[in-house]
Amino acid sequence: MPLGNFASLIHFLPELAVTATILLLVVVHVAGKNRQSAAPALLSLAGVGAALLLAALQPASAGRSLFEGMVALDGFAIFFKALTALATIVVIFMSMDSGELAGRSQAEYYIFLLSVLLGMFLLTASTDIVMLYLSLELVSIPSYLLAGYLKGRESSTEAAMKYVVYGATASGVMIYGFSLLYGLTGTTQIGEIGRALATGDAPLPVLLAAVMVTVGFGFKIAAVPFHMWSPDVYEGAPTPITAFLSVGPKAAGFAVLVRFFYTVFASPDVAAGVWKISSRVDWTLLFGVLSAVTMSVGNLVAVNQTNVKRLLAYSSIAHAGYMLMGFVLLTPAGLQAILFYLVVYLFMNLGAFYVVILVANGTRSENISDYSGLGSRAPFAAVSLAIFLFALTGIPPFSGFIGKVYLFAEVINRGVYWLAVVAALNSVVSLYYYARIVKVMFLEDPKDSTELPVPLFPRSVLCFLAIPTLLLGVYWEPVARVAANSVKLLAF
Amino acid sequence: MTGPANLIFYALAALTVGSAVLVAVLPNIVYAAVALLFSFAGVAGLYVFLSADFLAATQVLVYVGGILILILFAVFLSNRISDVKISNPARFQWQAALLCLALFGVLSTTAVRTVFPLKHGLTYQPTTAEIGELLMTRYLLPFEAASVLLLAALIGAALLSRPDGKGKGSADMEEPK
Repeated sequence: MPLGNFASLIHFLPELAVTATILLLVVVHVAGKNRQSAAPALLSLAGVGAALLLAALQPASAGRSLFEGMVALDGFAIFFKALTALATIVVIFMSMDSGELAGRSQAEYYIFLLSVLLGMFLLTASTDIVMLYLSLELVSIPSYLLAGYLKGRESSTEAAMKYVVYGATASGVMIYGFSLLYGLTGTTQIGEIGRALATGDAPLPVLLAAVMVTVGFGFKIAAVPFHMWSPDVYEGAPTPITAFLSVGPKAAGFAVLVRFFYTVFASPDVAAGVWKISSRVDWTLLFGVLSAVTMSVGNLVAVNQTNVKRLLAYSSIAHAGYMLMGFVLLTPAGLQAILFYLVVYLFMNLGAFYVVILVANGTRSENISDYSGLGSRAPFAAVSLAIFLFALTGIPPFSGFIGKVYLFAEVINRGVYWLAVVAALNSVVSLYYYARIVKVMFLEDPKDSTELPVPLFPRSVLCFLAIPTLLLGVYWEPVARVAANSVKLLAF
Repeated sequence: MTGPANLIFYALAALTVGSAVLVAVLPNIVYAAVALLFSFAGVAGLYVFLSADFLAATQVLVYVGGILILILFAVFLSNRISDVKISNPARFQWQAALLCLALFGVLSTTAVRTVFPLKHGLTYQPTTAEIGELLMTRYLLPFEAASVLLLAALIGAALLSRPDGKGKGSADMEEPK
């Protein structure tokens, strides 16, 4: 039985904390005289920190349906709340250091950032397509504003414009798919839609609905062929936002993709402990191909990039491809691999972008050629970046390797050998372009040998990101266990 | 539906789709905006047919009355918007037409051949009270989420339209040379 609106509030504390912080930010913005003060950043840190704490304290044992069946409170939702809140905290640290955002009005920036966070909280928990669509827009619309936050810079405005056009198209197509599902089943609850489809027999509209919904979610996780927006948006947006988009909304996109498809187009097979496709539409094959194409396009195009933000954009497309491998298997272990990979990916990807910000603050450049000699100019930043890049490649003993082992092991376990081969070949390609940056940093002579100072605060944040990247490569057991526990509760 | 009701439905559908085609095809943006007006009005008529009286009224108030007037204001207030050089000229027209035809085939086949479950014995009743009650009970959370979304969008609109304060803000008001 879903809880009523008032009874649900006690289980809704992280979201309430974020909402209260947004409202406080509005008050601070109106009351404060100084547009550039650090107060909004610190207030947001406190608010998101509280939300993270409250999410972590939520009991993961019992799956509950809240607000008359609009959102679910289960281990899966709690996991993603904690993950996205953590990513937001790191992004707030990055934003405080960013030279791009200095001198611009601060309060609005954090209002948008926290609105996206609230949207992600709701999106990962939605069990009703009305709620799902609204929370998707709550993630998207402030993201457009954040991408265009550098008013007056042409690339930032272009990024926002492209993001709006692609985003509107993707959600329009997705809504069409939702309307087909509603027309077939007469309900907006995804659990009921799933049960109705399991007994029905209408392959064509179900297939069409699945494809159309995939467009909306594929846009959020930047899977090929819905990735067209991401290189331009990632390049033009302020770098902290690029980092945020590549981790936060992508993770939320995976969460909603899993929850929606595993509830609507598949049903749990309790005896075997896996999910099975409930309609006659074999969408797992579709996603298998999507996964292979996504990782291949991402990696192959990344090879030729000269701008480091664009390179990381294509690399993040490729990583979405790797994670999709876990999605097609319909097994708890596959999902566990995705969740574990997302944790690892959070640290290594945010870390790489953080170094990009620090270098750009000093050199005003995002070109790979300007990273030459970084090893002697800023050894700490260069070594950290090397760690993050090797982790992204998936070389032992870094954490990215363990993430990939979990994914590959389950793919091979389920006998999808062709996908494993494609992914292995892709990892080799990715080594080339990640290692090229490392080579430029350490083996090429600097064009300008002045030292790039990295103050204490960025150093400590870099350590906060680099230590888990290293540690999870040798001692990953607790995180893997949390990921495994978060999967079990999904089907309720 | 039989007889005249059927005829009115097809007239409304033709109005909606026909004006939507005109919006896409007409080169003059003012004409396109006016065609959009008729398309929106046609959709409002379709809502009436679905016995969604509240939605029909909202469609007229928000889209026809609000959004379209705003678009027309924006068009009239912007200098030389009607003879702007478009940077991305129409290319691949044949390929696009083929793709659209294929998509149309799939969508219409689905719409026609699918047996959607129908509700029988519906009486046409006002829906406003029911919508109001649902918004305060079952759909309270989406309603509140929408309010946060609108707040963020409002602040965003204010931010985007506000001059930067460094004298740069007036730059985009100047005429392109």
